[in-house]
Amino acid sequence: MATETLIESLVADLRPVKPRNRSTETLILAGLGALQLLLFVVIYGVRADFMPAMHSSALWWKVISMGVIALLGVAAVLRSLDPANAIRTNLGRIAAVAAIALAAGWLIDAGAGGREALLARLNWHHGLQCVWMVFILSQPAVIGLTLLARHGAPTDLPRTALAAGLAAAGWGGFVFAFACPFDDPLYVAVWYTVAVIAVAAPMRWLLPKLTRW
Amino acid sequence: MAAAQAGDGPAYRRLLAALRPWLQRYFARRLPPSAVDDAIQETMLAIHSKRHTYDPVRPFGPWLAGIARFKWVDRLRAASRTAADELPEHLATGDHESAVTSALALRQLMATLKAPQADAIRLVKLEGLSIEEAAVFTGQSPSLVKVNIHRGLAKLAKLVEDGADGD
Repeated sequence: MATETLIESLVADLRPVKPRNRSTETLILAGLGALQLLLFVVIYGVRADFMPAMHSSALWWKVISMGVIALLGVAAVLRSLDPANAIRTNLGRIAAVAAIALAAGWLIDAGAGGREALLARLNWHHGLQCVWMVFILSQPAVIGLTLLARHGAPTDLPRTALAAGLAAAGWGGFVFAFACPFDDPLYVAVWYTVAVIAVAAPMRWLLPKLTRW
Repeated sequence: MAAAQAGDGPAYRRLLAALRPWLQRYFARRLPPSAVDDAIQETMLAIHSKRHTYDPVRPFGPWLAGIARFKWVDRLRAASRTAADELPEHLATGDHESAVTSALALRQLMATLKAPQADAIRLVKLEGLSIEEAAVFTGQSPSLVKVNIHRGLAKLAKLVEDGADGD
């Protein structure tokens, strides 16, 4: 097809469109996230010892780490959906937060004193349940961010996919942290990391295929 | 573009017509001549389908450049995926000089590749030789030529994605 013919076809196909608005998208995501968190707390409930656990630094370490990863991930995804933007810096921040979160965990661990057997601390049976819960709880974010990415114009699909995967995983971990009764930093560092990888890796692979344009 | 987002056909036609020479120059500096028209049309289709992602309060240039760059990387990736395909004989035209000079920016990027990869890409993708001819020319086996083209183009696409622009 000649380019002139293509131009005429595109002009003939022109319909008014509403420019995407990042604030609106942010509000929608925040609203959906708040709704999911509310439903989770109402249906599943928070951990039985939630009130005393609020005085534990480990609880806030989990909640804040996962929340910040989710927030930075969402910010990176939203930014990357505009062709004029680069995403690299944001991903660096997410990686830095993840590294700091893990390091903080080890510090808390070192300060806690007392050592049990490694396998007992890891508690793999519950650990796998935690991974599964984070995976399930991240799926609304996976779906929402995928739809958002398809609507936008990501020009660096692998990085957008990675940011979306981290954001979704962070969100799943954030929500589950309110119910997860385990505060052992070793347990959290290992199983939450496994959960983040379990969510982010498939999304890193799948999202570019779903959002190609 | 803002007028086009509002459905103004004549303004949209003027915009696309004005973009054409810019895209022509952009891709002529980065792709072999045979790929330029397709890249221009793909970019126009992308502009059309993603016009809602342009923010009217921000400059148009970076948005356009982002899409053009994305389509350039797409072309490089597509070329790396089809590197193993035998090229038709008619692509081996005598216009080697034009092909090489028009892909100046691409060749600058190719300087970052290993010599066997750069040779294979230059001979087959820019100068239009067949896989067998390139094999004879470089001393590589035909299958190695294909592998080097594939890996070299994939690396080029990665380089561009990571920030190299070819300028």
